[in-house]
Amino acid sequence: MTDVLAARAPADGALDVDALQDLLSSSFHVVVGTPRVVRRARLDTFDGRLARAGRRLQHVTETADERLELADGDETVVARLPERAPAWPAMAADLPDGPVRDDVSRWAGVRALMVVDEGRRLVRRAELRNADHKIVVRLVVDEPADRASTEPATVVVRPLRGYAKDADRAWRLVTSVLEPAADPLLPGSARPTPLLVEPVAPAAALLAAELAAFSAEIRANLPGAVADIDTEFLHDLRVAVRRTRSVLKLGREVLPADWRTTWEPQFKWLGDLTTPVRDLDVYQLGLPDMVGWLVAARPGDLEPFETHLARRRTAARRSLLRGLRGRRLRRLLDEWDEAVAARAAAAAPGTRPSAGELCRAELTRAHRRVVRGGASIGPSSPADNLHLLRKRCKELRYALEVFAPVVDADDVAKAVSDLKGLQDVLGRFQDSEVQRTTLRTYADEMLADGADAATLLAMGELVGHLDAEQQRARGEFDRAFARYVRPAGDRRMRRLYVDGGGRG
Amino acid sequence: MKVYATYNIKGGVGKTSTAVNLAYLSAASGRRTLLWDLDPQGAATYLFRVKAKVKGGGRALVSGRRPLDAAIKATDFDRLDLLPADFSYRNMDLELDDAKKRTRRLDQLLTGVARDYDVAFLDCPPSVSLVSENVLRATDVLLVPLIPATLSVRTYDQLTRFVADAPKPRPEVVAFFSMADRRKRLHREVIDAIPRDRGRVADTIIPSLALIEQMAEHRAPVPVFAPASRAAACYEQLWAEVVR
Repeated sequence: MTDVLAARAPADGALDVDALQDLLSSSFHVVVGTPRVVRRARLDTFDGRLARAGRRLQHVTETADERLELADGDETVVARLPERAPAWPAMAADLPDGPVRDDVSRWAGVRALMVVDEGRRLVRRAELRNADHKIVVRLVVDEPADRASTEPATVVVRPLRGYAKDADRAWRLVTSVLEPAADPLLPGSARPTPLLVEPVAPAAALLAAELAAFSAEIRANLPGAVADIDTEFLHDLRVAVRRTRSVLKLGREVLPADWRTTWEPQFKWLGDLTTPVRDLDVYQLGLPDMVGWLVAARPGDLEPFETHLARRRTAARRSLLRGLRGRRLRRLLDEWDEAVAARAAAAAPGTRPSAGELCRAELTRAHRRVVRGGASIGPSSPADNLHLLRKRCKELRYALEVFAPVVDADDVAKAVSDLKGLQDVLGRFQDSEVQRTTLRTYADEMLADGADAATLLAMGELVGHLDAEQQRARGEFDRAFARYVRPAGDRRMRRLYVDGGGRG
Repeated sequence: MKVYATYNIKGGVGKTSTAVNLAYLSAASGRRTLLWDLDPQGAATYLFRVKAKVKGGGRALVSGRRPLDAAIKATDFDRLDLLPADFSYRNMDLELDDAKKRTRRLDQLLTGVARDYDVAFLDCPPSVSLVSENVLRATDVLLVPLIPATLSVRTYDQLTRFVADAPKPRPEVVAFFSMADRRKRLHREVIDAIPRDRGRVADTIIPSLALIEQMAEHRAPVPVFAPASRAAACYEQLWAEVVR
């Protein structure tokens, strides 16, 4: 036995620690520590990145001791917290230097760490020692601190490397009086269950279910975007808005006709509202990379640019907050949820078109437009044609995501992966151009504010780098497109929209 | 994985105390640490209350019949594991002599556990042998405790020559004075006169203290049973100097 194991008292009985100690004493020298009230706050990013990586990060507070515990399987690394512990939410960069910060940063990335669960427990740690008084097994007896709590007490058996036989013996003794249970301290899976819809179900039912899920996503990310906890709340909110708009567009045939004039402009407004801050976030997040692009300029030359971005972001956030906190958005979301619920209720079984039929029609159309658009691009095609193709690729990507619940998940994943290569090249081509144009605008603004020549020259180097990057992306286009339309990829797409995607 | 070895041709100079205390401090600072007690006397193994026994002995480890990680034992301290000594290690020279790439075998064995640990310490037996040649090959930093006595300086000369003659890659040599008594004139003179051109000589001096000898009684590293002591502070200072 090498894994951490947990046991708990049977449903009809309480945990008798003294009896357990007597039982274990038949095989070990048992040393039980004094009970301590421990406050545990489990930390993770809003989207559960640590749990998905199999990590459990806890802020543990005991008398005169405050620490972070990072568990990865049966190994726990501890970082003592300074007197002024970070106030959550906080970024991984705010954690004390050391292995905990290094590992958490790797998984959390740009997302803030938030308290996702907390509780007070009465914890007793016990050591099971052999005849040489060497610790061979550790036990943790974990009970709710609140006597009125109905949560069960748990005994966790932690084996030590090289002492598996002792751990087996301890586990046998523990489970002779307690029931095996899941370790309450181990992270659960944070992956949401994917939506699955039968292809014969009404298309309107599928679209309504997806729109309801996107609306929930918008609502879930709204508080974090308002509080500016990290940049990804706004990003995820925008993604949900973009997906909503894409469903509204793809589903025009089956959704009420008036939605095109009522809801499509509403969600366009919401998307546009969030664009300025997100654009600035992209710049700020990309600054460390941009510093690496400099050839002649010094990294410090870009500091005034960083300050300018921060100032602009503060101003842009004021407008954003007015919109996000305003009545218009509240009403939009409430009325939208009602409209979506009504549409879902109206989608009676047998209503045409079915989800499978709409999927076939929309994927066929979107795929054909990408193939035709790409084939028409030659060496002298203007940049606008590549921008248009990027939009077509996005539409196909959204269609693949929208209809994922009715087709084979593996086929969709492969089709998305095929498309991603082309999207990356087109994205680099357009982003380089957009960033270059915006940089010029910022440079004009900063010049008017009396910026240093050194800063403007450094920004000029960035423009030069972006120009070269755009040329590189343009040079890679033919190969990326040829790879996308190769027979294997084409067969995969056709399987999705001609054969109905292999489900149903 | 960074490998440190405490080594000296001479015995009784504080190799084991240094390996045990520095390995403990390494683990306490958050690094996953392994201590391999290569000395058949098994003093480090005893200090961690682990049985000085490896199934199949040194022969099984060197031949690869028993994987290194199957012989590793957790100590009582988080992130600190021990590869115990075995009395059969007294024949390790012979086992290594039979192995392919005889001077690189320990290095190969350690590579097999490199993913599990950030730091490894080798507590070496006092000798010049095939084991020593293997240690030089496997080690990044050779920690050499020196008692401030004339003969120790002579041994240090022999040791630095031995390292200089070893095939590349060679470890960095970091010598430090151990069991020093500043009240003794000879100790002061030797400390001042040590040649500093053959390797780094640490500023930290580990004094001769009864508390360090008490490790055998407590069977624990000094910072565990006397965290506020001068001895613990000296080892902390030495670790800070070595790890930087």
